[in-house]
Amino acid sequence: MRIRKTVNVQMCLVLACLAAFSLIAVRTAGTPAEADVAIVVNPDNPVNNLTLAELRQIYLGERQYWKASSPVVVLMRSSGSKEREVILRVVFQMTEQRYTQYWVAKVMRAEASDPPASLFSHGIVQEGVRGNPGAIGYVYMNDVRSGVKVLRIGGLLPGEPGYPLR
Amino acid sequence: MHRVWGVLAVFVLLPLSALAQGAARDEREQEMQEMRARIEKLEKLVTELQKEKETNNGVATAPAAGDQLQAAATPISHEEHAVGPAMPMDHSASQGGATNLVERKFPDLHWRGFADVDFSALDEKNTKSGFNLGQFILHISSPLSEKVSVFTETSFTAQAGPQATAYNLDVERLIIRYDYNDFFKLSFGRYHTPISYWNVAFHHGTWLQTTIARPEMIRFGGRFQPVHFLGMLAEGNIPSGSLGLGYNAGLGNGRAGNIARPGDSGDVNSNRAWVASVFSRPAALNGLQVGGGIYGDLISPVPELTGNPQFRELITSAHIVYTKETPEFLAEFAHVRHRNAFTQTEFNSDAAYVQVAYRLPGEASKWKPYYRFEWSNINPNDPLFSVATQPAPMVDDLTGSTVGVRYDITSLAAFKAEYRHTARKATEPVINGFFLQTCFTF
Repeated sequence: MRIRKTVNVQMCLVLACLAAFSLIAVRTAGTPAEADVAIVVNPDNPVNNLTLAELRQIYLGERQYWKASSPVVVLMRSSGSKEREVILRVVFQMTEQRYTQYWVAKVMRAEASDPPASLFSHGIVQEGVRGNPGAIGYVYMNDVRSGVKVLRIGGLLPGEPGYPLR
Repeated sequence: MHRVWGVLAVFVLLPLSALAQGAARDEREQEMQEMRARIEKLEKLVTELQKEKETNNGVATAPAAGDQLQAAATPISHEEHAVGPAMPMDHSASQGGATNLVERKFPDLHWRGFADVDFSALDEKNTKSGFNLGQFILHISSPLSEKVSVFTETSFTAQAGPQATAYNLDVERLIIRYDYNDFFKLSFGRYHTPISYWNVAFHHGTWLQTTIARPEMIRFGGRFQPVHFLGMLAEGNIPSGSLGLGYNAGLGNGRAGNIARPGDSGDVNSNRAWVASVFSRPAALNGLQVGGGIYGDLISPVPELTGNPQFRELITSAHIVYTKETPEFLAEFAHVRHRNAFTQTEFNSDAAYVQVAYRLPGEASKWKPYYRFEWSNINPNDPLFSVATQPAPMVDDLTGSTVGVRYDITSLAAFKAEYRHTARKATEPVINGFFLQTCFTF
C-alpha cells in the first residue's frame, strides 16, 4: 500500500515536471526575439546602429546615401507578408494604399527614380543584402541566416525589451 | 436638367465598376498569397536540405536563430562586420535570385501617366457648363548611373477657345541630376520653382493633390508667382539631427517677356533669377514640414510697357504642412514685391491659402472631405499684374472657399466633387461653381 502511494507521488512529480517543462518550452518557442523583425545589412556596411528616426528616413527615401556616399538600396517584402505589415505600421506609419501613393508621389517629385524593390521571400531579401554592399532589408529574427548583419535599432537588438519592430 | 442627371449617373456608375474590378483583384491577391506561402515552404526545405548535406559532408552548419542573435551582438560591440561565422552557406543562391533582382540597370526607364477628366458648371455670365479633358501627363524617370538620374514631365493640354484645333504639348520639367550624397545634389534643367510647397509637391498630377484645382496663387499660367524655373539647382539635407533640415538653391533665367512663362529659349534680359528655400521635417512628428523661400529676378515685360520699365521682383514665402491624412493640413503665404527699376516705385501684393482635409476611418477610409480658404490682396496699380497686354490673365483680389470630397476608387484613381464660392472686388458679382473630376495615375 505504502509502495503504491510512493509510486503515485512519484508519478505526480513526473507529471508536474513535464507540465513545467512544456510550459517553459511553449514560452521559449514564443520568445519575442523570434517574433521581432530584424533590420539586416551587408556585413561590409560599417553601420551597426540606427535610431528609429534614421531608419524611417532611410525607408521614406529621405536619406538615400550611407555616410560613405554609397547609395542605400532599400529592399521591401512584397505586400501580404507579416514583416512588411510591421514595417508599414512602425516605420512608415502608413497603410498599404498610402505606401503606394507615397512612392508614386516621391518619384513624381523627382526625389527618387524608382520605388524600393519588393521581394517575395525572406531568403531573397537576404540574398539581396548579401549581394549588395548598400542594401538594407528586414526579416523575422528566426529567419536570419548567416552572411547578413543585424542592426541595433535605438541601441536595441531584436528580443531585447523595448525593441520597436514587433 | 436632364443633362446634369446624366452626368451624375455616369459618375455614380464609375465607383460601381471599380467594385467589380476589386473582386477580380481579390482573387489575384489570393493566388499571390498562395504562391508566397509555397516559396516560403520551399525556402525552408532548401535550408534544411543544405544543412543536412553540410552535416553529411562534415561541414559546420549555419548557426541557429538564437546563436545568430548572439552573434549579431558581437560585431556591434567589437566593431566587427559579419554577423555569424563565415559559412560556406547558400553560395549557389547568392549567384542569382535577389542579387540580380536588386542589381540596378542603367538606363532603367520608368514611365508613369497622370490624367483627369473634369466637369464644371458656373453661375458666371457667358460661361458654359460641360466636360473637359484635363491634362494628360507623361512622367519618365531613369537612373543613368548610381548617382545620375533624369526626370521628365510632359503635358498634353486641350487648346481653349472655339477656334481650337489641336493640343498644346509642353515640356513641364526636364531635369538631369547628379547626387554627390544626401547633402549635395546638383541638377540642371526646367523645374517647378521651389518657392511654393504646392508647386513642388503635386506638380501636374491632379491625382496627387486632394482638391480638383491648385490654389490660385500658384496656378499654371498665372502671373502671381513664377511656376517654372530654367537653370540649375543645388539641393539636399542639412546635417541637423532630429530637425531634418533641407535646402534648395538655384540660379536661372527667371520670367520671360510673358511673365507667366520661364525663359525657355534664353534670358530676356541677361539677368539671372535666383531662388533659395529651407525646410524642416522634424523627426518627432512624421508628416510635418515647415519652410520658407525667397526668389529674386529682374522682369522685362514683353510687349513693353509705356516708358519700357523693368521691375525688380522679390518674393518671400512660408509654408506649414502636415501630410498625414488624419488630418491633412496645408497652409502657405507669399508676398510679392515689384519695384520699378527707374522710378523705384514699389508695389506689394500678398496671397495665402489654408486647406484642411480628413481621411475618414474604417470602412469609410476611401472618403476624404476637404475645405480650402483662399485669399489674396493685390495692389491694383502693379502694372505687371494689371496690364492687359500680357497674355496671361490679370491678377485680382480674391476671397474664396472650396468645399468638397475625394473618393479613392482604387489606390491609383480618385473621384472628386467640390463647390467653390469666389468673391473678387466689391463691384463684381460673387461666382459659385460646381466641379467634378476623375483623376488617375497608371
